[in-house]
Amino acid sequence: MKIKKMLGIIFTVALATSMIGCGGQTADTTTKEAPASETSKTETAKPASEEKVKLRLMSLSTDENQIKILENYIKKNIAAELPNVEVEFEPGGGGEDYTNKMKTYNASGDLPDVWYSGAEYATAIIKAGNQLDFTESITGDGFIEKFAVPEAMKFSDGKVYALSAGADTYFTPRIFYHKDIFEQNGIAVPKTFDEFMTVCKTLKEKGIVPMSIMGKGGWGPQLYMVQTMIQGEDPQVALDLLQNKTDFTNPAVLQAVKKIETMAKEGVFPEGVANLDYGPSLELFTSKKTAMFGGFTWETANLGADSNIGMFMWPTSNDKYPTGDVTQYWGSPLNGYAVNANSENVEMAVKLAEYCVSQEALFYAEQGSKLNLQTGVTPAEQSELMKENIKLYENTKLKIPTIFLNAMDAKTGAEYGALGGNLLTGTYTAEQYVKDFNAIWQENTWFENK
Amino acid sequence: MEKHYRSKLSIFIFAFPGLLLFTLFTVYPIFPQILISFQNHDGFKSYGWVGFDNYIKVLNSASFWRANGNTLIIVLISLLVALPLSLLLALVIDVQTPRIRNFFKFSSVFPAVLSVTVISQMWVAMYEPQWGLINSFLRAVGLESWAHQWLTDKNTVVICIAIAFLWQYIGLNALLFYTGIKSIPKQYYEAAMIDGANFFKASFYITIPLLRDIIKYVLILSVLGSMSLFAHIRVMTSGGPGDTSRSVIYQMYYTAFSTSEFGVGSAIAILFIIECLFVTVLINKFTAKERIEF
Amino acid sequence: MRQKIGDYLIKIVLFILGCSFLFPLFWMLNLSFKSKSEVYDNPFGLPIEWIFTNYGEALKTFDFFKYLNNSFIYTLGTALITIFLGSMLAYCVSRMQWRFADHVILYLTMGLIIPVQVVVIPLYMMINTFGLKGSRMSLILPYASFALASCVLMLNAFFRGLPKELEEAASIDGCNVYQCFFQIILPIVKPALATQFVLIFMNVWNEFFLAFILAGKESLRPLPVGLLSFFTSIGVSHWGLIGAAMIMSSIPTVIVYCFGNKQIENSLTAGAVLK
Repeated sequence: MKIKKMLGIIFTVALATSMIGCGGQTADTTTKEAPASETSKTETAKPASEEKVKLRLMSLSTDENQIKILENYIKKNIAAELPNVEVEFEPGGGGEDYTNKMKTYNASGDLPDVWYSGAEYATAIIKAGNQLDFTESITGDGFIEKFAVPEAMKFSDGKVYALSAGADTYFTPRIFYHKDIFEQNGIAVPKTFDEFMTVCKTLKEKGIVPMSIMGKGGWGPQLYMVQTMIQGEDPQVALDLLQNKTDFTNPAVLQAVKKIETMAKEGVFPEGVANLDYGPSLELFTSKKTAMFGGFTWETANLGADSNIGMFMWPTSNDKYPTGDVTQYWGSPLNGYAVNANSENVEMAVKLAEYCVSQEALFYAEQGSKLNLQTGVTPAEQSELMKENIKLYENTKLKIPTIFLNAMDAKTGAEYGALGGNLLTGTYTAEQYVKDFNAIWQENTWFENK
Repeated sequence: MEKHYRSKLSIFIFAFPGLLLFTLFTVYPIFPQILISFQNHDGFKSYGWVGFDNYIKVLNSASFWRANGNTLIIVLISLLVALPLSLLLALVIDVQTPRIRNFFKFSSVFPAVLSVTVISQMWVAMYEPQWGLINSFLRAVGLESWAHQWLTDKNTVVICIAIAFLWQYIGLNALLFYTGIKSIPKQYYEAAMIDGANFFKASFYITIPLLRDIIKYVLILSVLGSMSLFAHIRVMTSGGPGDTSRSVIYQMYYTAFSTSEFGVGSAIAILFIIECLFVTVLINKFTAKERIEF
Repeated sequence: MRQKIGDYLIKIVLFILGCSFLFPLFWMLNLSFKSKSEVYDNPFGLPIEWIFTNYGEALKTFDFFKYLNNSFIYTLGTALITIFLGSMLAYCVSRMQWRFADHVILYLTMGLIIPVQVVVIPLYMMINTFGLKGSRMSLILPYASFALASCVLMLNAFFRGLPKELEEAASIDGCNVYQCFFQIILPIVKPALATQFVLIFMNVWNEFFLAFILAGKESLRPLPVGLLSFFTSIGVSHWGLIGAAMIMSSIPTVIVYCFGNKQIENSLTAGAVLK
């Protein structure tokens, strides 16, 4: 019993002393950026006897390709390629979780040494001076020469903040479909949007759900559907939006959004699509519960294993820009491996980032994807779907960057998704969407920062 | 004896460590947060003081008021349906045979034992429009027209989340009430039974009044728990479609983390804390003050 | 006669309700024996084809025992600190002659109000300044702090229910307030402490948000965070594996609950004798 009393007192004292440390912290927490974490210094100081440099690497742990790159490439080859580096791998989650983590780390001065950067939040880390500009280091060691188009990595301020294999820029929105379902129901690949709607109607009549997409959080409309539909009306409007030369009250936008409203109302998507996650939406397609799947070409390698799966471009209803002429492409110079500018070992961190991006390139090259970073690897055997993918890509005449990644600040982007999710319920009109979203677009700060 | 119970030293030793721990890790962090609510802050960095701008922005936002409406719905369901149900369950199991009582006591807390992720994911499967248990059942019994897109219809989504959440904790609350009932001396009932009181009368005139303290505790716990509902929403709908199923806390989380308006998010947090303080004071006012002694 | 039918009806309703509370266990177990494709075709029925490899396969990528160990340390540490400090504070508030007692209760209800999510950045910075980062205390102390409020509120209600004569008798026997508290009062409220322990265990065991942000290091992660990285690492679509992982992560809580449940009941009967 006495021991308990003693413990209580010890606790009191211990907490009281820590309280003193805390009092002086008030100003720090809110006003100024904490310097690169003090604790990491003590951590690295401990194993002074060892030669190995300790680095922390945070990766996206929800993206299937990223997981494969990490598990099958980066972790596998690291001992041979970077023998004097000990990496602590930190799975960062994905989406909002990942962003929140980066925010907390950045605010508290505890960023990892290397992380996979995303356009949604990178500008703020850059503004805080915590994301390294690679220009000097990759020119110095000649790594830059491995890139076919080094300019593609430059952000609008001319600096390089992330190293990417560049598979992103070849990722474009497509519709995947089951050839046999189409054949059995006498359906041809639609060339116009009206034909597409007829296809969906036919499928519905036969009791087949036409198309699955990820709708949770408005993912589909946010990432590509709204933009693809706008491009279908008039590609110039999409380009103007990227330059802030027009806004969402443009009549082409209303026409475009109306198409999504129609699709939702006509039952093109499964019931409850607005709450459908990515994995299940893909599973619905691969298990043949839906005839089509709306996604990006990053699924080509996975889906190409089934020779029964084909793909086509989103159909337009525009004679001037027929289907297949215009496409949106994914990617932003801010997506890729980034290095903490305040890292203890910037040099080694850069080496690690270069290693990671090379492994990423290896992964995509073996799948037969086109890349900016040259690997010299020839892919084993390309699937029919992959060949089709490259053919469709090369046939396009105009490639437009993704509006969501290249014209919206965090708030605008988030609301773009939220309102997109509303559209998928079929009870939210295109007119309302334009009205609501344009109000948010007016407050978009993306272009001010440039 | 009295001397010890008045002694400043013993009060200090008993109260201080707990209060310190609580103050340090729960109360203190609010202060930096209050400062942020008056700044233009993106979670990375402050861009200067903006006075009450953040608060004005919040009070003018339709999403914030919708979130308040949703929170109110959840609290009302909890107050008017879930809590009375828990209390009724506690009263009923008290008079059951031990076998049924033990089974029920064991199973009732079970959902609260499991992780929110597991429970929410299960309810997502229940509400799933194509093969979910609820729609399948409705179709099987010929109520096809009642089948519904539960989680994507703005009219049902909040109620559906509330049901999942309240279902998880109904049994736990019942058990808390039940432990309270168990602590009431049996003589009270014996006297009442001699006077010819039945189960309902005994419950209403003896058990419930004597449970005041426990009821107050469970009331505060579950009203505030319902107000700060977050995890279920996160797993089940992410606040969607659009902003239709956000609670105030979800709106705060969305504003601070998704749209990067940390200042505005902090303003929501501060407003929410004020709302909660108000509700707590209200509950304290309406529940008995005097202490119960047996 | 009519009363008898009513009794049976109540029993049946209770039984059905009780079963519905156990449904999640059935759901998870059932999932864990299904193949990847069957989950979508036959989500709630028994498996048509029983798959027993899901557990083994899940364990390959799911570092269950490491997460389990961490979860135990967080949970037990939090429960010990909370119950020790919380019971003392509750006793002080309910029994001692202190004019701030009611204020303390109101102050503590703030702990039920303050959402963890909103204070995570200040909290994270504090942990850095205290040098707690990378240690398990970085989660245990905030957890204990957040759990303290409900612990004190509940114990307060229990202490109030105790007759004052207990302490008076003890003090005649020459006990001081500390002896009285630790040797007489605490043993009497053991059922309440056990209930608190179980409640804290359940809360901390399943806590996600703080653990996700504060325990950044892989080696410090508790089960729920590990469970999520597992879900996402298999693309949230192989429900058989997810079911297996969910079952494995839930087993410890279920065991503790079964054990604690009995403990509470035993102590309750013991407590009733005292009255």
